[in-house]
Formats: sequence, structure tokens, C-alpha cells
Amino acid sequence: MIIMVYGGSGSGKSAYAEWLLTTLAEQNTKYYIATMQVLGEEGQQKVKRHHDLRAGKGFITIEKKRDIEGIAKKLSSERNSILLECMSNLVANEMFTEKGIVKGSELVRKIMQGIEVLSKQAEHLIVVTNNIFEDGIKYDETTMEYIKALGRINRELTSLADSLIEIVVGIPIIIKSCKEVEKCGL
Amino acid sequence: MELYIGGYAQGKLEYVLRKYSDKAFIIIDGARDYKEIEGLKQQNGIIINHFHLLMKHLLAKGENVEELFEVFMAEHPTCIIISDEIGNGIVPMEKAEREYRERVGRLLTYIASKADSVERIICGMGQKLK
Repeated sequence: MIIMVYGGSGSGKSAYAEWLLTTLAEQNTKYYIATMQVLGEEGQQKVKRHHDLRAGKGFITIEKKRDIEGIAKKLSSERNSILLECMSNLVANEMFTEKGIVKGSELVRKIMQGIEVLSKQAEHLIVVTNNIFEDGIKYDETTMEYIKALGRINRELTSLADSLIEIVVGIPIIIKSCKEVEKCGL
Repeated sequence: MELYIGGYAQGKLEYVLRKYSDKAFIIIDGARDYKEIEGLKQQNGIIINHFHLLMKHLLAKGENVEELFEVFMAEHPTCIIISDEIGNGIVPMEKAEREYRERVGRLLTYIASKADSVERIICGMGQKLK
């Protein structure tokens, strides 16, 4: 099953997603796929904060800034629960490459295929994704293309997903519900 | 303590004042009443409006906003906090702007965890979150 956890910056979506995965996973092998490209001290601090959040929860961390389909072969053949954090970084990394800027439609297709591959090997796949859509600013063409690509992925993923949960000031709001999430007792 | 959150121009203050039309409040506007927040004698009937702008001002001064607010909340347990949601956009280029968004978000999350009630205001309507 696929669960989307959606929220703005500093909304507490990571903490929630980790709690949800830990609650759902039970005895499954838990993976944390980190897509952030770590740049400078600020990036390292961010990694440390997330690392501290996960400490003691038994996650296996896989750093993968793009090509998530490649992770499939690293996963155990038994029951897996995967937390992918986060889609906004993955989209940026797939879009802005050393070779140049990849077209939105192309990377949307690629990421959706990657998710499909991962979800086949996961009993639970939680995707953390960002709300970057509400600042009302008209950015340059490339940034707008990025915003559109993430919006497209969020929509396509949510239509596939069993559940969509929005986090606002740390509080979960169920937009699309399913039994498993309800059982976790929100 | 009550927290009201929502986008710009959603009628948050208006919503609160309508909800409590029988009460009188001291409204501290985070856009300009920076000084009033310190040493506020009155305990009850306080609204902090534009909380995010107050934070922006305090962060620019290098204040420890988390500590400052912990004290404020303890001294004013019935206060009403109204803030714009500022985290739902593209990550800003400037470091100070990124820090502002992140710290306001985390502080609001903390305030929400302590609050008796949390509502999100959309188009003037309240959505009860807690």
C-alpha cells in the first residue's frame, strides 16, 4: 500500500511519517530512503535532525538522490516497509542534473515508474511530499516547471495511493482515508 | 491557549472576533507592536495577531524565540495566537528566510501541541484540527 504524507516546511510531516511507518511496520524490515542532496552545514544539520528523529527506531537508511528504481535490488526479499523522504528533493534532483535540465513530463514518468517498482516490494510505502504550492509567487520558467512537475506527481501518486494525509502544525488531517491508517488511531 | 492558522487574507482575526463577540481583547499586532509583548501585565483576553511577523522581527534581532514564547505561554495561558501559514511555498534562496520559515513552522507545531484548540481558517471558515 502507498500512503502520502503532505505538508509545508516545518509542519512536522517527517515526525508523523516516521511514527506512522513504525506503527504500521510491526516486524517488517524498515527502510528510510533519503533523497536530499546534502550541501553545506545547513544540509548536514537537517540530516542530523532527521537522523536524531529516527534514532532507535530501527530504520535502515539508504541515501539515493535520484534513480530510486535502483533501490529495489537492495531490499530484503521479506516483508518491507519503506519511508521515502522526500518527493520534492527527488523531483529537484531528477530535474537538475549535471547534464542539464530534464523535462517535467519525462521525469514525472521516470519517478512514477520508480515508485511502481518500489511499491511492489513494499507492504507499506510512505512518501513524504511537500506543499510548495501556496506562496502565490510567479517564479522563473524553470522553477514553475519544477512546481508543476511536483504537483503532477503528487496528483498521480495520490490517485494510486490508499491514503493522503496532510499535516498542519503537526496535526494530521485525513484527505483520503483507508482502513490501515484508521486503525493506527489518529 | 488557542491557535488559529491559515493563509494570507483568509479572515482569521475577523473569525476570532466574531466567535468571541461578547469578549473584549487586547490585540497585539505582530506587524508593529514588538515592544508590547514583553512585560505584558494583563494575563487574560490577549490576542497575538500576525504571530509570524512578530517572529520575523524577533529572529532578525537574534532572539531565542522558542524560549521567549515558552515564558509567554506560561504567563498567558489563555492567549489566542493567530498566524499565517508561511511554509507552503518554494524554499527561499536566502538562508535567513529559510530559517524564518522553518522556525516559525516548528514553533507553531509546538504551540499546537500545547494548545487547547487549533483551527485552520479557509475562506473565513474554521476547520477544527484540535
